[in-house]
Amino acid sequence: MSIIADIPVSLIVLCSGLGLILIGLWGMLTQRNMIRMIVGFSLTDTGIHMVMVSIGYVTGGTAPIINDAVPMAEAASRIVDPVPSALVLTAIVIGLGVTAVMLSFAVRIYKARKTLMIDECTESKW
Amino acid sequence: MVSTLINDVLLQPLGIYVIALGAGFLVPLFNRAHRGSAILVFLAALAAMVAISGINLIAIMNGAAPVDIETAGIAPPFSINLRFGLYEGGFVLAVNTAAILAALHLLPLLKQHASALLLYLILVMGINGMIMTRDLFNLFIFIEITSIATYALIGIERTGSVLAAGFKYIIATSIASSFFLLGTIFIYYQAGTLNIDDIIAHRHLVQGPVGFIACLFVLTSLLIELKPYPANGWGLDVYETAPSGIASLISVGVSAGVFFAVYKILPLMADYMNSIALIGGITFLVSNVIGLKQINVKRLLGYSSIGQMGLLTLALALLLQLDASSLLPLIVGGLFINHLLAKAGLFWLAGIINRSDIHDWSAIAQRPGLLFLLGTLIAALIGLPPFPGFWAKWQLVMLLADGGEYAWISLLLVGSLLEAAYLFRWFSHARAADENHANISVNFWQTTPVFIAALLLFGTGYGMSTVMHFNATYMFLPIVAGFVLLLIDGVHGRLKDLPMLVIVAAGGYWLTRDLEGINRLFSYLLIGGGLLVSIAAMYRNDARKGFYPLLAILLLSLATLLHSKTSLEFFFSWELMTLSSYLLVTLGREGVKPGLRYLLFSLGSAYFIFTGFAVHYAATGSIEIASLGASGDTMGLVFSLLAIGFVIKMGGFGVHVWLPDAYAESNDDFTAILSAVISKAGVFGLIIVAANLGVRSDIGLDPAYVLGWIGILTATFGALMAVFQEDIKRLVAYSSMGQLGYIVTGIALMSHLGWVSALYMTVNHFLFKGILFLSIAGIILRTNERLMYKMGGLIKNMPVTFVFTMIAIIAMSGVPPLTGFGGKWMLFNALMDKGWHWIAALAFFSSAVAFLYMFRLLQTVFLGQRKLEHRELREAPIILLVPQFVMIVAIMIISAYPKLLLDPLSVAIDPWLANTLVWNGAALQTHYGYWNAPMIMMVVGGVWMVPLILLLLMSLTFRIQKVEQFNIVYAAERPNRPEDTHFAYNFFAHYDRALGFLVRPRATAFWNTVVEWSHTLGSTLRVFYNGNGQTYALFILIYFVAMFLLNGGLGQ
Amino acid sequence: MTDIDWLSKAAYFSLTLLIVTFYGLLVTAFIYRLIAKVQGRIGIPYRQPFINILKNIFKRTAISHGVMFYLGPVFRLAGGIGTLAFIPVIYGSEMFSNFSMAGDLFLVIYFMFFGQLGMALGAGESGHPYSAIGIARGLSQMTAYEVPFVLAVIAIVIQYDTLSLTEIVAAQQGGWQNWTLFTNWLAVLAAMLAFLGMTGYSPFDIFLAPQEIPIGPPTEFHSAYLSMLQTNRALFGATKLILFMNLFFGGATGWIELMIKTLLIYLVAIIVGVAFPRFRVEQAIRFFFKIPTLIGIMAIVYAQMVFVS
Repeated sequence: MSIIADIPVSLIVLCSGLGLILIGLWGMLTQRNMIRMIVGFSLTDTGIHMVMVSIGYVTGGTAPIINDAVPMAEAASRIVDPVPSALVLTAIVIGLGVTAVMLSFAVRIYKARKTLMIDECTESKW
Repeated sequence: MVSTLINDVLLQPLGIYVIALGAGFLVPLFNRAHRGSAILVFLAALAAMVAISGINLIAIMNGAAPVDIETAGIAPPFSINLRFGLYEGGFVLAVNTAAILAALHLLPLLKQHASALLLYLILVMGINGMIMTRDLFNLFIFIEITSIATYALIGIERTGSVLAAGFKYIIATSIASSFFLLGTIFIYYQAGTLNIDDIIAHRHLVQGPVGFIACLFVLTSLLIELKPYPANGWGLDVYETAPSGIASLISVGVSAGVFFAVYKILPLMADYMNSIALIGGITFLVSNVIGLKQINVKRLLGYSSIGQMGLLTLALALLLQLDASSLLPLIVGGLFINHLLAKAGLFWLAGIINRSDIHDWSAIAQRPGLLFLLGTLIAALIGLPPFPGFWAKWQLVMLLADGGEYAWISLLLVGSLLEAAYLFRWFSHARAADENHANISVNFWQTTPVFIAALLLFGTGYGMSTVMHFNATYMFLPIVAGFVLLLIDGVHGRLKDLPMLVIVAAGGYWLTRDLEGINRLFSYLLIGGGLLVSIAAMYRNDARKGFYPLLAILLLSLATLLHSKTSLEFFFSWELMTLSSYLLVTLGREGVKPGLRYLLFSLGSAYFIFTGFAVHYAATGSIEIASLGASGDTMGLVFSLLAIGFVIKMGGFGVHVWLPDAYAESNDDFTAILSAVISKAGVFGLIIVAANLGVRSDIGLDPAYVLGWIGILTATFGALMAVFQEDIKRLVAYSSMGQLGYIVTGIALMSHLGWVSALYMTVNHFLFKGILFLSIAGIILRTNERLMYKMGGLIKNMPVTFVFTMIAIIAMSGVPPLTGFGGKWMLFNALMDKGWHWIAALAFFSSAVAFLYMFRLLQTVFLGQRKLEHRELREAPIILLVPQFVMIVAIMIISAYPKLLLDPLSVAIDPWLANTLVWNGAALQTHYGYWNAPMIMMVVGGVWMVPLILLLLMSLTFRIQKVEQFNIVYAAERPNRPEDTHFAYNFFAHYDRALGFLVRPRATAFWNTVVEWSHTLGSTLRVFYNGNGQTYALFILIYFVAMFLLNGGLGQ
Repeated sequence: MTDIDWLSKAAYFSLTLLIVTFYGLLVTAFIYRLIAKVQGRIGIPYRQPFINILKNIFKRTAISHGVMFYLGPVFRLAGGIGTLAFIPVIYGSEMFSNFSMAGDLFLVIYFMFFGQLGMALGAGESGHPYSAIGIARGLSQMTAYEVPFVLAVIAIVIQYDTLSLTEIVAAQQGGWQNWTLFTNWLAVLAAMLAFLGMTGYSPFDIFLAPQEIPIGPPTEFHSAYLSMLQTNRALFGATKLILFMNLFFGGATGWIELMIKTLLIYLVAIIVGVAFPRFRVEQAIRFFFKIPTLIGIMAIVYAQMVFVS
């Protein structure tokens, strides 16, 4: 119990993030259904976001607001780095956009040829 | 207030974003009101982006400081900043220009989809951002903006194949950008900043396994966006299926942005330079191999695109490795602008013509304008002069040679050759009119963007020549002359020849007026001779579209070749000559296919010459031709490379396979120019090489001996193969090859007498081959046949042509007293002097074999039984006979007074080899023997008169009866059909049974095998592109793993 | 050498020409008689070749197939006369050195083609396919026997270090042991094998096909044309013999020596000719490319080893 407690939160987040990335990649590579592939991409994306957040986290740090609680001199060591969190916000938006475009492609492909199987869309090759 | 706004915001680089976003809001608004006005706003916005980038770039080029755009009022690294410097400006201007041209091309499509206007603006803005941003995460944002806009634009057309390709594209690029994001965040973790300049400044912080992984992720994802082999099937599918305007923008715009991003982060990637170069090189080579198999035009362009990006990446990495970043604008910039304009233009053209199979491109065979555009763009893409790619490749190869990177040079040149093969094969199909082609109708305005791209290529090409300090504006004279003649090309009729002759004569005189020595001699031969033979072109009165402009380019490029002082000028002229002569060959009856073969061998030869010059540059640091001799240890190598190049061009043994068909299928009058004049360019090159390299060194001797053997084998096999030809032009073509072989051997002798004989034979070859091919032109004009057994007895119809042909053949055969004997005599003496006895024996043998085909030509065409349908044929037109007559007179004069020719030849050689000609009165003496030409002429004339007078006297005593055709003694048979009685087909059947085994087409079989293997290799290498998006995704992951392993990831 | 007395030269040469022609015709008759003896016939009288020529000259009818046909025999005879003109016939005799100062051995070899080419064209215009066939065969065979011949020539050029016929003969003076035959017998062997083809006797006579009528280049030629061809055949044959004599058998210092030597050389071809059947053209070509060529190559190797210091 104590062993688990000793593990920093950021590491847990990092590992689960990496795990999600791998699961997502596995999904994209093995699932022939496009919707499932998109789900895989979403997982990967989320995993990346988790990794990003974990990287900025300082164990036991506080919110990155410089006030009385956190003197200027100690700020660097005590506060959580705000930049990754800001980046994650942007990345989430972008991931959302990409996922939306992917889904719309899937919808249109289904309309055009009544299938969602990626291995049935191989007429362009060589 | 308004003016400040304009000056401080809109005209600044920031204005690009302001305008793009502003127009993005305005377009839907206007669209509500009126579709046309929305498009106007859209185009205005793009034009403004071009203008802003242009204005700012010019300011920077005039010395202004690079513009840094800061955001949020805080200085970097605490905020995102964008930079507009020289390189950024150049890329942005180029991309925006391509974007507006692509928009013009896409207008019909964009009109249907208002939302596409918006997406298009965002896409272009995204690319601008990728180029300008100095923040790593911001780079990611711009990549994603660009990607999303691209995805959406790909999806405009809702056919299944586009959507499928689009989906694969999305999967692939989103995996790549996910890794980019991961890499970015890891870098941030170590460096504590996202500002690229800051990261570079603190790159020591990026280290250890995490730093390694971070850099690997960032770099590899960007490289994957550039579509490296084999993780690039998704890109190819989009190129193939997307609308051509979109595909062009992906190929030149998005790729440019990513490429620039790679350039930006390279300072971090010093450890990865080898992998980057390797990836670029492999991609360039492999894409071009696979391209060989491709017949879908847009996918073909896709392979070419990927190859070109590989080349750019390779060049970038090598330049940085070789510490030559000052050459970046010239080499990388040149290659980039070349690729941008040419590839985009080709994509647009492909969209306009809208034929996916290259075989269907014969639809434009009757459209000279479109062919001109296609040819220009392809020539530019291959890197032929005067386009930017030529200068960039030249500089790159010189630099690589200087750095000793010969493996990369070979890769570069092999790849270029392969690219030329499939692109020009496409052009060939477009050139080949076939009977069931549906002629295409193309709106003039549609071609405007393509036309502008072509013009810009010419312009930038010229611009680059000035940047390279190629202070030789006159080198562009051939092209200018070609354009001038193009203006009057619409006129019909033979008189078009006259302005061509005037321009070439004036230009040729002006270019060659100051020449001395060998160059002067060759100027008489190439320019004067070329003009003389060109007079005969007037025998045809049809339209001959493009013939005269191209001929002017060809002849004037010979003049610039002679005028060349540096290897760059030489190579420039050489490539120009190659290109124009190729196009002229394709104008022939069935000239397209042989033309392609001719071009590929010529390019191969040019690349050998190129490499030779590069080695010389590496050894001496000079590109002066006169300094070739100072190549030091590499002298033998330079000599061999250059000699191989010139021998290929002359149709040397083994690499002659292009020659017979190219000669046979060209226009008949052009064949005369090709054989009599153009082949002499190879002789000139070889002489120059031998003069500068062979003579001054002792090490030059061994390659020279090999060269001597090559020459004599060429002579022998050329003669043997000529013996078995049924086609008159092929017969003379092989003969041409054989006769040039003696010249090669003469040059290889490296002795004064050898060279005199080579030059003498060169002049002689010009004379007799000019006569022969012009005679043949007349024969073909009258009979409409090329197969000799379908002719016969033409002496009755064309006596003048017969006499001219006979004299030419005697002059060729070496039978005294005409010119041929002198050449053979001097060559034999020089060979004996040198102790090359075996070569001398073969020379004898081949000249004996030559009698077979020479007799066959005269016998089966002019003698024997005449065909019934040929009874009414007339003599060849006078305009064909006049140049022949001039050459006959020259042969006669030289035969009787060879001293008139030998003295100037000897003087020209003097600077290199001391004169060894000993004249004893009119007799030339050598160590071995003597040759008194005037006396031989007298004696032969005398002894010839004796039996003639005797016979004349005897004939006074009886009445000579002219008899009918079949009044022959025919052993109780009574012939009644000339076809049965004319012994012509398979004339030397017995010789074939005895020696035919020597001339089975082994060389052709060999080269066919080479082609086949290349194609097999291509199909093997493309098995990865199975069309399955998941396979493509897998390859991307494998790519990461491979990069990881390649860079020693396990050791980290 | 520049100021030559053309008139006296021409006069001397005419004399040479007459002697050689006369001799050539005599030898022709001799050979015919010899062959007849071998075959058990009586053969022709010695005067027969002369009679043939005279008879043909004065035959009344003459047809022409055209100008080139007419010129064919002219070229042919000019080729024979010219070849003789460029050969110094009697060593040491200014009078019989002819026009050999105009050119060397190389000139002679190449000029030998002059007549053949002209004749071929003349025969071609006759329109007779058999003429063309004969020429095609003859030319093919020529390319083959040229090979050993040329190899032999190169070998002796290496040996004597000159192309001048006069100097080649000069180098062989001073006794039979100086003849090429004894100093470089490999070259002579190759050349004599080539000589068999050159003379056109069996087994290398298919291009003329003397037994079959009509075939071969002269098929259509008759009367005056034929007389010129017959004259040339005797003259040209003798000229080639003189050339071989000069190159390989020490030349001749007088007419008697010349006649004996040339007759003996000729007998080689005749003896082979009566003993062997005829080759087809391709067989003949293959023959020359095998043993004779090999001997020629050995001759050059020998010359390179022995005479090149």
